[in-house]
Amino acid sequence: MYFSKALFKQSMKANWVKWVCVTVATCVMLAIVIIVLGSLAINDIRDSLKDVFTQADQQSILKENSVDSYDAYNMSVTFAHNINDDETLGMIGSMFGSLTGNYTMAITNFETENGRAPTDDEKNTIKDEVSASLASQFAPFAPAMGFDMTEDELAQFLYVLFMVYDDNPTFALPNANDYIDDTYTDGAQNPAYLTALDSALNELKESLKTNLIDYSGDVAYDRYIALGETEAVANGYAMQAEALTTYAISSYESQMGNDGFEYSESAFKAEANNYVINLIYNSTKLQLGGTDMTEDEIEMQAVAAKVLANTAISTYELWLEEYSDEVKYPDMTDASIKASARDEAIESITDQIPEKVAEALEELGNMDIYGLIIGSIFYRIAGLLLPMVFVIMVANGLLAGQVDSGSMAYVLSTPTKRRTVACTQMAYLMISLLAMFLLVTVTSVVSIWIVGGNNFAINFAEICLFNLGAFLTMFAFAGYCFMCSAIFNRSKYSMSIGGGLSIFMLVCTILGLFGSNVVPSAMRIDAMNVFNYFSIISLFDTVSILNGTIDFAWKFAILLGIAIVTFIVGVFRFEKKDLPL
Amino acid sequence: MEEVIKVEHLTKDYGGGRGVFDLNFFVTKGEVFGFVGTNGSGKTTTIRHIMGFIKPKTGKVTVLGLDSWKDSCEIKKNVSYIPGEIAFPDLNTGIAFLKAQAELLGIKDMTYADELIKRLQLDPSANLKRMSKGMKQKTAIVAALMADKDILILDEPTTGLDPLMRETFLELIKEEKKRGKTILMSSQMFDELEETCDRVALIYNGKIIDIADVNALKNSTTKSFKIEFLNKEDYLKFKRLKYTIVRDQEKYFQVTVRLDDSEINKLFKTLSKYQVKFISEVKNNLEKHFTEILKKELKGGEDVF
Repeated sequence: MYFSKALFKQSMKANWVKWVCVTVATCVMLAIVIIVLGSLAINDIRDSLKDVFTQADQQSILKENSVDSYDAYNMSVTFAHNINDDETLGMIGSMFGSLTGNYTMAITNFETENGRAPTDDEKNTIKDEVSASLASQFAPFAPAMGFDMTEDELAQFLYVLFMVYDDNPTFALPNANDYIDDTYTDGAQNPAYLTALDSALNELKESLKTNLIDYSGDVAYDRYIALGETEAVANGYAMQAEALTTYAISSYESQMGNDGFEYSESAFKAEANNYVINLIYNSTKLQLGGTDMTEDEIEMQAVAAKVLANTAISTYELWLEEYSDEVKYPDMTDASIKASARDEAIESITDQIPEKVAEALEELGNMDIYGLIIGSIFYRIAGLLLPMVFVIMVANGLLAGQVDSGSMAYVLSTPTKRRTVACTQMAYLMISLLAMFLLVTVTSVVSIWIVGGNNFAINFAEICLFNLGAFLTMFAFAGYCFMCSAIFNRSKYSMSIGGGLSIFMLVCTILGLFGSNVVPSAMRIDAMNVFNYFSIISLFDTVSILNGTIDFAWKFAILLGIAIVTFIVGVFRFEKKDLPL
Repeated sequence: MEEVIKVEHLTKDYGGGRGVFDLNFFVTKGEVFGFVGTNGSGKTTTIRHIMGFIKPKTGKVTVLGLDSWKDSCEIKKNVSYIPGEIAFPDLNTGIAFLKAQAELLGIKDMTYADELIKRLQLDPSANLKRMSKGMKQKTAIVAALMADKDILILDEPTTGLDPLMRETFLELIKEEKKRGKTILMSSQMFDELEETCDRVALIYNGKIIDIADVNALKNSTTKSFKIEFLNKEDYLKFKRLKYTIVRDQEKYFQVTVRLDDSEINKLFKTLSKYQVKFISEVKNNLEKHFTEILKKELKGGEDVF
């Protein structure tokens, strides 16, 4: 055994004060960091920042809901206006005829071309094609024909007509030729024909209303599913849309019965606005009913939602008006005017601030502040500083310092092998460092336990891995400083080469912190990451530990490897060199 | 005679003329061997080789037949050492240091150490850092002698001691010698080496110039006398006589003559015819011996001591 108990005791006597000071100071710092910061709830700011973003998202959805509901209401009114006009309804009837005629022809063409019947998907494609071609054909003449619709609305209208067709494929307006008899040679005046036509158109009108309501529900469902909402939520919105359409149509129809009724778009828009903001108000109240908020708070929130909805709708209206200016925006179609106005209206706070700032703020909200302070700052920098000073001083004092002063002569003039001296001093350095980090580990575990154990942002397993990492890092530095102490006969060289590089690496880690991913991008200077490549402390991967990956394990192995190699080199070098004693 | 320490063709060149070059000497059992030379002449380098702290470039050092580099640990079982530079390990008091040293040496019985402490009037409870140079040297002496080993290697052991303490120490060395110890000791003081040593080697610029037998020197039958005459005529007349004149100072009418004990009467008869101002014996000591040799070596050049 290359171990001298007497020399080990001597090293303990010479260094115990340093050991106690460094250990106590490091433990106290760590306890303060964990306990004090833990009870200060430094995550509050982070949480409120996170709230801002969640709220902004919620508000954005609310605005979307308002604008879309408003749009759907207006569309329903237009629809009701069109189908309740007898002349227009007649036009719709004949349009339905051309639609079904074109459609059956397209189906026949497909069958002769492909030798089989089209699948449901292919049928939908054919329907889309047919309605698109009809919409573009009708659009220029639509106003003259009595259709108060944009091309976009027309396309939707045709879609609904197909739904009517699907309900009743054999439906057709009565043919006047079928009612020609001798009494009414001029044909059209046949009352039987007129009655049949009237009832057919009425049937068409009722079927259109039912299908429009279904259609509005389907559209709402599809939209909220696309936004990532659950089926239940999307179904809720679908029901809301159906109720809205039903209300809009019945509202139009009831007003139509009044004396002196005249259709006014703006009057119905005001009604739509009113309906939607009340809808938002009521649904917000309903949603918050289940939470632990007081009634007053719920009322406040519901009113806020109402105001927000109103703002969104008026913004939408203003932008619709703005974009409709053909001189200013000559390239805009009806569809793009709507889409752009909608985008402006639903814009959230996060859309209003520059993208980079928004990203930075969101990142700040998601930042793990405990991981940063305890992992990256304490264990990789602040907590290493004092043990590093201890290692530099003690490693130097164990060999080089004693050779330089000459006191090593007393040990070596006794029957003690040089290898025994080197191994004993190495053992002292290792054991003192191990004991130091065992105490630091105990301190950290107790501190974590005090601030809530595994409920704390950093759990017991993670804090133990942090301590292991810090120990292995210091172990590697200890090996390196020991090697320098064994190689050099002069303290000044051992200190400056061994200690100098160690401190240099620590400083690099401090500078590199500002370039590493743990620092939020608002404070980060990516170029400074280069410093991390100059420091073996980078092998102590606290981020990997917190993320639960196993990258840290092989890095730990490298640190251990550095320590073993440098310690062995130190022992052999000390055995072989000349000593000026 | 058993050669306890044997240095053969030892060379260690540090460059720039520094180091030791082709040293050859031996120390026999029970002998006290002195080592004298200027600062940087190679005394300490030689001792470091014997202690096995440095590896010879060429040549060989053996202690009790063992190679001093390879078997350095084995050799230490029989060797005690006082280093030239006094620096103690980082311990509080003299007692703590002596205890630690005793533990390293495997000494359980401290009676001899206590006796040494009393002899040297050392207060071992004093703080090591606040000790005077002499106190430190005494502590180092106790640490080395307490193991009671057969071979003592002492690198300038008397530095820092007051004259009285130096005497006590030299007494101690003489006693150790009587107890049969083999001692190798370096110093810059000729008189203390002369007092204790059997043989003394003069080392200069890394080379051994001469090894003097102190006993032979002390018992030498030739003596030197310095004579000053009152007038020039007598001075000139005396110079014409057939005496061996080793020094001639014309300015003071002084001559130094060397002659065998048997010629003393003849000299006095001669001198009775001259006007003599004074006559005194010039002691033929180690210092004089080495100075002369060195002067020859340097071809009558500068005064080296």
